[in-house]
Amino acid sequence: MNDQAGEAALSLQGLVKRFGATRALDGASLVVRRGSLHGLIGQNGAGKSTIVKILNGLLQPDSGSIAIDGRQVVDASPRLIERLGVHIIHQEPMLVPGFTVAEALFLGDEPRLGAGRSPVVSWRTMRRCAEEAIASRFGLALRGDTPLDQLGAAERQIVQITRSLLKAPRVLVFDEPTASLVRSEANRLFAIIRRLREEGAAVLYVSHYLEEVRDLCDTVTVLRNGRDVATLDPARTSVAGMAALMVDRDLGAMFPTRSSLPGAPLLEARGLGRSGAFADLSFTLRAGEILGLTGLVGSGAKELVAALFGLAPADRGTLLLHGRAVMPASPSEAVGLGIGLVPEDRRRNGVALDASVAENATLPGLVRFVRRFLLDRGREQEAVRGLIARLAIKTPGPDAPVGALSGGNQQKVSLAKWLGTGATLFLLDEPTVAVDVAAKVEIYRLLADLAAGGAGILLLSSDLAELRGLADRILVMHRGRLVAELRAADATADEILTAASGGAAGSAPDGIAA
Amino acid sequence: MSVAAPGPAALRGIDLARAVRVMLPAVMLVIVACFAAASPTFRSGGNLVHVLINDVTLPALASLGMTLVVSTGGIDLSVGTAADLAALAAALTVTQGGDALLALSAGLAAALCVGVVNAILVAGFGIAPFLATLGILFIGESVQQLATNGGAPIYVVSNFPPLLDRLAHGAMLSIPIPLILLAMLSALTRLLLARTAYGRRAHATGIAPAVARHSGVPVRRVLAITYILSASLCGVAGLLLLATVKSYVPLSGNAFLLDAIGAVFLGTTISRDARPNVPGTLLGVLLFGVLRNGLLLVGWNFYWQQVAVGLLVLVVLGVSFGVRRRGRE
Ligand SMILES: Nc1ncnc2c1ncn2[C@@H]1O[C@H](COP(=O)(O)OP(=O)(O)OP(=O)(O)O)[C@@H](O)[C@H]1O
Ligand SMILES: [Mg+2]
Repeated sequence: MNDQAGEAALSLQGLVKRFGATRALDGASLVVRRGSLHGLIGQNGAGKSTIVKILNGLLQPDSGSIAIDGRQVVDASPRLIERLGVHIIHQEPMLVPGFTVAEALFLGDEPRLGAGRSPVVSWRTMRRCAEEAIASRFGLALRGDTPLDQLGAAERQIVQITRSLLKAPRVLVFDEPTASLVRSEANRLFAIIRRLREEGAAVLYVSHYLEEVRDLCDTVTVLRNGRDVATLDPARTSVAGMAALMVDRDLGAMFPTRSSLPGAPLLEARGLGRSGAFADLSFTLRAGEILGLTGLVGSGAKELVAALFGLAPADRGTLLLHGRAVMPASPSEAVGLGIGLVPEDRRRNGVALDASVAENATLPGLVRFVRRFLLDRGREQEAVRGLIARLAIKTPGPDAPVGALSGGNQQKVSLAKWLGTGATLFLLDEPTVAVDVAAKVEIYRLLADLAAGGAGILLLSSDLAELRGLADRILVMHRGRLVAELRAADATADEILTAASGGAAGSAPDGIAA
Repeated sequence: MSVAAPGPAALRGIDLARAVRVMLPAVMLVIVACFAAASPTFRSGGNLVHVLINDVTLPALASLGMTLVVSTGGIDLSVGTAADLAALAAALTVTQGGDALLALSAGLAAALCVGVVNAILVAGFGIAPFLATLGILFIGESVQQLATNGGAPIYVVSNFPPLLDRLAHGAMLSIPIPLILLAMLSALTRLLLARTAYGRRAHATGIAPAVARHSGVPVRRVLAITYILSASLCGVAGLLLLATVKSYVPLSGNAFLLDAIGAVFLGTTISRDARPNVPGTLLGVLLFGVLRNGLLLVGWNFYWQQVAVGLLVLVVLGVSFGVRRRGRE
């Protein structure tokens, strides 16, 4: 344990929270001490976000108590909690989408004209302060008057974090802050967090990146099925040990051994291009193969995937699917050709939060349940139960709304949609973001099985370990062009990063997590 | 660690959510009971049939179409327009000496035109449904006024085709034909929305259009089908109206619009996940009809009837939204 850890800044005792039949929390306790960095890990659905939401009063616990600086807090509310110096960065961004960066940053205490006493907001000061605040902490030049919806996920996350930092927090809670951040931004965040600790703040840090937790935290609490099952010293525990505690068993190898002999060409691109996005792409994906794809922001890799799925069709070159020339002009056409996409932005494009698990899971392949014009709901339910079991999706049942599932389980639903549709080409865009280690292992095994069954998989990922562990070959894009094709087995992280940044050796680029 | 009983908050949330779903039927029962007690005329069998045929059937048909449209996340302000143009086309056909079948075909064709234009605007050009159908509403009004010399009714009293007459006033097994028609079309719409792939896709389009698109749902085709179906159902309403009153009065279909919107949203309160559904919509229309009829029988005039309908919509929807929001927090 950290010897400089002081008295308890935050103490949660015996928290219980039920949602219908689900016990999200089942007596979880947690103490975060002043001047300490406390990690919280656990599988998808273990109850991590529920703890965070209870802490700031978004959810009411069925029983249990919260104490901040030794004082019991009853009737927690976001306002009260902030007044007590506790600031929370939620897993899902909670910013007003129509606002500008400056408005979002200062919402609630805008700088005023006349030495802060007049009721008139000083927009100019506000913009300037916002730009300075972000630049000084993250080295990011964001204009204060940019609307939030024009920002990428990472930039939005940075605005959210800066907003909390501005309030001189005494207790800071992060729920998966780095899921959308690139390496250099994450490193800056870590530096900021360490400095806050030196200044005596208490930090609770929730993450699925166990290496990150190990390097950063002084103490780690493992949550399993809504209960704290272990509190450990990360300096004396291996990452595999942490993972084993999370899932209560040994996970074995992270990546499945694949003995695939790639078959006939499944997808062939010849001189594929779309103006302003990518040009002159030629590659082949064989049946049974997992083809990795990576590149920095603006490399055109995302655009390539969008083109293959008919979202923004290519305007030059040819595409052969099973040897036939195709060029899907819409997603429904692509799906008809046997192409499936797991999009990166799960909540916007992947799953309908207000629809049930069953409705989501069968949406792309609905026709297979149609008997004489009507949906055979018995068979549909059966198929969905099969999918829930196969992917170990943690849900109260097929009829539960996907919005009630934990983040990682929503991601599994987004993947489950394409199983059983007869798709032969799977386009996966960052398929394991926010997914716990155990689920990652399951997903990797599933992908390997799909490939072994003759499917072709295009895996767009910025997680180099994932690319090297799972793919057969890795395509690297830079500025709209294919700049390298590497055998995954002997590609080094350096090689990939160098290629992705356009061959400028030596400098590790942003955008890819090493 | 003591295991606490389910918290009072959770319990209340669940019970309230259930209660909200039976609110609409309960309100219906209370209203019927009150009027039945207050007015002997109200509880006569003849009055019930009168309400069903004259106050419920026509708006119900338009509401069926609206149910489909609202399911896809849109709204159809041109339901009355489709009904009116269908009636106009049929009336003109009859006055020109056309027979019943020709009149019916002309009427349906006119309604279909409205549907196709809506489909092109919404699905083809991606214009927001509110604006697209508003435009059609305006244009439809002008077309009717131009075709009738500024709004003169067309009476088709003489030579009214017997088949058309039977459509409105006939009966099979002593059940009035309009009711049979409504029952059949309701059952079909219900089946379509709740049990077919189209229905599932329509709901998906309404709930999360981007997800539907990324799942390969042919969103534009779903929308096109929806607006065409809606206009067709309204066309049937317009033809029934013509057959009932043996005359065409311009813009009379507009009376359906507000009832249809109100009924669909009232109807969502009986659904577990607050979705438009055919039984709920029918209950909503029925409630409007019964409320107006009952108030009329106890001596309230039209304007006070509208006040009552408005209050009913506000109270039911207000309670429902309030409870559902609390349940989510
Ligand atoms: N609003 C809700 N309604 C019903 N069940 C819920 C709700 N919110 C959470 N749950 C359930 O509570 C459990 C814990 O969810 P929670 O979001 O705390 O998990 P988590 O540990 O944060 O997971 P992840 O790593 O995937 O984010 C899950 O089984 C989830 O399905
Ligand atoms: Mg979470």
